[in-house]
Amino acid sequence: MNETAQQQPRFAVVGHPNKGKSSVVATLAQNDSIAIAMEPGTTRDSHRYPMKVDDVTLYELIDTPGFQRPRKVLAWLQGHSLSASDRPDTVAAFVTQHADDPRYHDECELLRPIVEGAGIIYVVDGSVPYNREHEAEMNILRWTGRPSLALINQIGSDDHSADWEAALGQYFQIVRRFDAVHAPFEKHLDLLRSFGQLAPDWREPLDAALEYLQALKFGRDSQALEHIADALIDMLGHQESARLGEHEAAKPLLPKLRQRWQNWQREREQRLRRGVEDLYQHRRLQRQESDLLTPDDGDLFSERTRQLWGISKTQLAAAGFGAGAVGGAGLDAVVLGASLGTGALVGGLLGAAGSYYYGDKLTRLKLGPLSGGFREAVYGPLKDPQFAYVVLGRALVHSYEVSQRNHAGRDVLAVNDAGEHWLEHMDRKDRQRLHKTLQSLANRKFEPGKRQRLIEQLEQAQQAFGRWQMEQFEAIDN
Amino acid sequence: MPKALTLLLDFDDQYRRDVQQSHAFLHRRDRRFAQQQEEHKQPITVPAWLAVLHALNGQRRESGADPRLRHWRQARWVFAGLGTLLGVGFMLGLLWYDGSRQINLTLLIGLVALQLLLALFTSLQAWLGWQPWGSLLGPRQGDDPLAALRPALCARIAHTGGLLFAVSGLLTLLVLVVVQDLAFGWSTTLQTSADGYHQMVAALAQPWQSLWPAAVPSAELVSASQFYRLADTPADNPALLGTWWPFVLMLWLVYVLLPRLLLLMLAALQLRWQAGQALRAHPGWQGLFYRFETPWVETRGQEDSQPAPAAAQTVLSPLPDSATLIHWAGAAMEAPALLPRLSRDPAPLQRRAGGNNSLDEDAQVLEQTGARNQPVILITRGWEPPTGELSDFIVDARDHWPAATLLALVPLADEQGAALTDAGLLAQWQRFVDRQGDSQLLLCAPREQEPS
Repeated sequence: MNETAQQQPRFAVVGHPNKGKSSVVATLAQNDSIAIAMEPGTTRDSHRYPMKVDDVTLYELIDTPGFQRPRKVLAWLQGHSLSASDRPDTVAAFVTQHADDPRYHDECELLRPIVEGAGIIYVVDGSVPYNREHEAEMNILRWTGRPSLALINQIGSDDHSADWEAALGQYFQIVRRFDAVHAPFEKHLDLLRSFGQLAPDWREPLDAALEYLQALKFGRDSQALEHIADALIDMLGHQESARLGEHEAAKPLLPKLRQRWQNWQREREQRLRRGVEDLYQHRRLQRQESDLLTPDDGDLFSERTRQLWGISKTQLAAAGFGAGAVGGAGLDAVVLGASLGTGALVGGLLGAAGSYYYGDKLTRLKLGPLSGGFREAVYGPLKDPQFAYVVLGRALVHSYEVSQRNHAGRDVLAVNDAGEHWLEHMDRKDRQRLHKTLQSLANRKFEPGKRQRLIEQLEQAQQAFGRWQMEQFEAIDN
Repeated sequence: MPKALTLLLDFDDQYRRDVQQSHAFLHRRDRRFAQQQEEHKQPITVPAWLAVLHALNGQRRESGADPRLRHWRQARWVFAGLGTLLGVGFMLGLLWYDGSRQINLTLLIGLVALQLLLALFTSLQAWLGWQPWGSLLGPRQGDDPLAALRPALCARIAHTGGLLFAVSGLLTLLVLVVVQDLAFGWSTTLQTSADGYHQMVAALAQPWQSLWPAAVPSAELVSASQFYRLADTPADNPALLGTWWPFVLMLWLVYVLLPRLLLLMLAALQLRWQAGQALRAHPGWQGLFYRFETPWVETRGQEDSQPAPAAAQTVLSPLPDSATLIHWAGAAMEAPALLPRLSRDPAPLQRRAGGNNSLDEDAQVLEQTGARNQPVILITRGWEPPTGELSDFIVDARDHWPAATLLALVPLADEQGAALTDAGLLAQWQRFVDRQGDSQLLLCAPREQEPS
């Protein structure tokens, strides 16, 4: 055992083939490439996943192949051991003796890190009934004498965890339940914390690692908001333009420019999503909206998308009223309050009327001044406030799903329909401020210096969205 | 152009290049830079960061201004040239003197005030960021890093032109003072007394009163200089009227040239300050400093590139007639409905192997089943991958059984005995049979349920 091996906690994730070892490692190592490429149970070599902070390893997870011949290995060990005290040495001798034996390649791969000092994380499937066929494996692991933790991973829907817990408790120091695919981030941290309980020397590096992982998650959440803010700035203010001859009619150009504008918006949204997925290190995520060109149900410009993420005319008018009233209040301030609040009233009515007006308005081409026999035809930005809420809603749900998603998850990312709008969970004043900002973006009057304020408003929107999501989950559970 | 602008443009270029890169790469790269700077006790600054990246990429800064600043620079030259010409023209026009009448100081003071107002208005526009004529500069591109600086850039150009206008005007005034005998006077329609006018010019001359007393007109001079257009009253002392020139010179210097110079310097400062602001408000700024300050946490480890499994060769074979069944690890042992689908014998021999059997018990099973001299059906859980123990069992069977004993491997989809239909799961069993290289080993499915 070398010195480095003694300093860093290492954990060999072992078990019967296809019981979710790789899924556990994928989730804890935040690496979605681990299990996806492999045929179940075909991990043949150990793979190391060190948790490094600025290139300093705090702990290491080792994904190992499953036991292939546990009864023969146990028989060999029993045949070569004189007393309980020589059992760890006997396991080490087994690994040494069979290092080049292809029959025991998998056992050597999984036992080698353990005899070199790694802790044991034994993974079983809690959805199948306990049976004694695993006892050979558990006995071998007990022979190593290393600190050990058993993890009951729930793969299927049946729950036999209680039986497993009782049986595993006889072989392992700690027994934990963990759903590698669905466990929330806090559960990951709890599990890692329990790894630190296996040996006194491991607690400190594991605690430090937990702090870094928490900070990493926090940082990613903040940066996701920055990505969304930048996408909103780009998308809501985007324009497409083309040159138009002096006597050329503008109308035929409209469909072409609209198509270009919509394609640009779709691509920008995809870029945002890739950016957020990259941030959370989800590199192999499959999304439901895969087709960029067909205006299908998942498309940014489909009617269903608009219904799903847009806001009702009543909500729109309410938000518009508030946003207008902010301007009106400014008018009151200018006349030193002499208008006795009529400024706010007029502003509010104008804002509400504007919301209704733009709510159904189709954009038109704007023509620039004639210059050198040509004029510029400009399409966009779309001053329909619904569009801003569609972009924002889709960005928030994507970011939320990605941030909550485990790296062992393999199901397609999907968006669910909802009755109540998430904006309802936002404070009225905050909603009005957000609406005003979105309007300024669509009017291309957004100042770059206000980006930070937009990010703060998005943070409030994200929190409201999170509360709304929790209510949705609770409604489904009930 | 100031370095702040070049820095902003460089930063924006780097940001656009970085947008295509993965977040992980950027964090590692920038954190590494920050650590190196700390090691060498150097400050972590954007110029230093850019310099390191440029050095790593072998980029050299092209000499001269950034191409995106070129048209601003050209505009500045054009305004400077125009300002110079207009300054000369303006002063020549203003001091045009044919001897018939004095040069009206009231008009001159008014034009100086106009110049001052224009200068202040230019700066005010830039400070407020108000540009009603901004569309003349072309469409404002959303991703232009200089977009927010346009008012300040325009103000600086305007003040450069204004300064050159003031300087050339001043020089023209001096030349005219030398080569011509200029006679100044004052005239106004308003009922203004000479005393009142004197008070006004004295107030205007306040700034240089102590510096150059000769440039402060006396009450006598003011009184002697008043003229009326309709009164044909040549001056008593023409030389006296020429003594206004120091006042005119200082008036131009203090109220036209110096304000322009001052406002130009302020515009340059404003530009630098706004460029700094724009840099700090840049979408890439916060992310960059987050990467500088936050340790790089790596959990992914090595990337796995498992080769795709080989294509399976084995195909499903018809289930041979047999009355010998082995349930591997007890698979479907408790599914009596399965039996008629596996064997036509009403009471086939059923043995259990693998799982929690001992190796001796497995050997006994091989002994018993081999002795029956008929095909053997080996039932397994199809959703679990085939293990080395199963492979060993088949190899051991070949040692114990008569040659050419057919062994039918039947992976099931569940404990009730459903046939395995999942292509992915079936493929792992097909490949398992391929690997065994045993011509007497068949992969089979249970027979369809016969109608009762």
